[in-house]
Amino acid sequence: MEVQIRFLLSRDDELHRRGYYVVAQALKDTGAEIILGECQTPREIAKTALDEDVNIIGYRIMQGAPKVLVPLLIERMQENKIEDIPIVLGGIIPKRDIPFLKEYGVKEIFHPHTPVAHIQQNIMKIASDYRN
Amino acid sequence: MIKENILQEIAKVNEKYTEELKKIIDKIPENKKENFTMSGIKLKPIFTPEDTANMNFSDDLSTPGQYPYTRSSHPAGYLSRLSNPFNMRQVTGIGTAEETNKRWKYLFSQGARAISVVGAPTAWGPDVDHECTLGFAGKDSLAADTFADMETLFDGIDLRKISVHLISGSTITLAMYIAIAQKQGIEPKDLRGSMSNSLRPDRDCIEIIEYCHKNMPLFHSGYIDVRNVREAGCTAAQEIAFGCAMGMAAVETAAEKGIDVDEIAPRISWFVNSCPDFFEEIAKFRAMRKVWAKTMKQRCKAKNPRSWQWRAHCQTYAPTLTAQQPFNNIIRSTIYALPAIIGGVQSLHVNSFDETLACPTEFSVQISLKTMQIIAHETGITSVIDPMGGSYYIEWLTKKLEEEAESLIDTINSKGGAFDAWKWMQEEVRKEAAKNQKELDLGEKILVGVNAFSEEEDLQTQAFETLQDHAPFEALYDYDPSIRDKQIKRLNKIRMERDNEKVEKAKKLLFDTFKSNENAIPNLIEAVQTNITQGEIWKIRTEAEGREHDLGMYMLG
Repeated sequence: MEVQIRFLLSRDDELHRRGYYVVAQALKDTGAEIILGECQTPREIAKTALDEDVNIIGYRIMQGAPKVLVPLLIERMQENKIEDIPIVLGGIIPKRDIPFLKEYGVKEIFHPHTPVAHIQQNIMKIASDYRN
Repeated sequence: MIKENILQEIAKVNEKYTEELKKIIDKIPENKKENFTMSGIKLKPIFTPEDTANMNFSDDLSTPGQYPYTRSSHPAGYLSRLSNPFNMRQVTGIGTAEETNKRWKYLFSQGARAISVVGAPTAWGPDVDHECTLGFAGKDSLAADTFADMETLFDGIDLRKISVHLISGSTITLAMYIAIAQKQGIEPKDLRGSMSNSLRPDRDCIEIIEYCHKNMPLFHSGYIDVRNVREAGCTAAQEIAFGCAMGMAAVETAAEKGIDVDEIAPRISWFVNSCPDFFEEIAKFRAMRKVWAKTMKQRCKAKNPRSWQWRAHCQTYAPTLTAQQPFNNIIRSTIYALPAIIGGVQSLHVNSFDETLACPTEFSVQISLKTMQIIAHETGITSVIDPMGGSYYIEWLTKKLEEEAESLIDTINSKGGAFDAWKWMQEEVRKEAAKNQKELDLGEKILVGVNAFSEEEDLQTQAFETLQDHAPFEALYDYDPSIRDKQIKRLNKIRMERDNEKVEKAKKLLFDTFKSNENAIPNLIEAVQTNITQGEIWKIRTEAEGREHDLGMYMLG
């Protein structure tokens, strides 16, 4: 069955957002519903995810430390009882943080210059797996 | 510019050449036949005197330091300051004030004389002990909350000798800077420097311009940031046009406040990009000077030549810097820096090769500084003003960009000016970014080490990791969350030790100031010296104004 993807896309800083909008547009092109959280704290992301009933969260981290922000986000999601919503990351994610983040449950990490088609396919698959 | 009979002769020779060339080009595969600049301007295989035949010397070029400044804003270009031809200004903000001060002193020991400070107290958010700073404090910018932090930050830095840019558009950052200068015995009227006070219809922006206009004639109080718009995806012509349109809109807003164009325009500085397309960028800087001069003189009716003159700090392009084969970024940033210097910018930041991986280290930022020193002192590029002037290609491209930019300014004006056309400009920028991504994904544009010439086992990454593990210095920055704890401890100590009676008085004063329409800067200069924290000011301001500041509202891209 075709799953309607509701994708919350948030980021950690106000100013730098080229990749953020490129990814948002690319996913819109696949027919997904995109909720633009813009620049949000982990607490705000968890709240928007709950309010908007999304089935996948994309968090662009560039200025902050992923090893601090991801556990914070998951904690806030647990408080809202939505910790099963899959999380994908993009942005500047240090290579040595990846095992830690994956262990924490992050489904996928997209690095700079990942082809957009690859991001589209992965996100559709992760969101569908979650709903089915 | 060229005599008719000579032109005819050239046309005859060219006709023969064109025929020969056509035979060769006909054999080239269809998709390689045509070439475009990075911004999409269609190119010819060669440019000749015919392409510049319509140029008029005084209208299009003139001499350096003369309207329309195509060749240089200053009559002597870099020549009057060859020992330090342009400000080598790296963005710095790391850890707490102490770590940033140490980084500055390191850069100065290596020959730098200018800095951009990122992350000074802005009063646009809570203090460091709020949960929203978790994972951020001191990571990609300096963590600072009070005037005491600013004193540590500027400890041993002589503001008469070092050129400072504040990456902030807030009145409180400026107030703190003024107070620091006064402690060094420098009065506002003698204080130099600049800040990222992006021109926008907002209280802070207008108060900064108003205050500086009256009290700080040497300070660059207005700022046109098109560098980040270019990062976001726009073209070279849009970079010029959007910047000029923002300048025009600011002049109009200032006029409503009774400030004349010739009072605001001379204190505006630009923040621009320098991108991979070498020749297009050289032409862009030339066209930018010219279109700005024409905009100020013809469209805004400025009479003071200083209003027509373009001044800019430049930072090299980053979207093409790659995590793969990271040392390639040294080569990229060097190449991107060249057109900026050939094009005559006054100040430059060369991206560090690891900026796509983390915050730059002493090691990587040193390479950036050395890149600029080598360009300035080993290549001879700075010895001649506008060295590419007269190239048929550069002159043709300069004109082309000028025409495109002028027509874009007309379009923006027909939409009511930059502030009203904001959404349209934003959409244009994002459209270009999406197009650019598609070209990369389809392999129409090559990014070495990413979509071409890549390798499974990345040799450079291996070398980098070895360096990180074995070198006696930090090769790749690793964020330390204890920076935040250190700053919280410092903040608590300041809160304990300051004269809290004075702080309460300052709070009351600021509340009344923010509630009224008076310019907040004079009272802020007094207030910050009590060590009232930025979080306290933020809270008072939000209460007094009944709303929170929206930082993203006036960001293009």
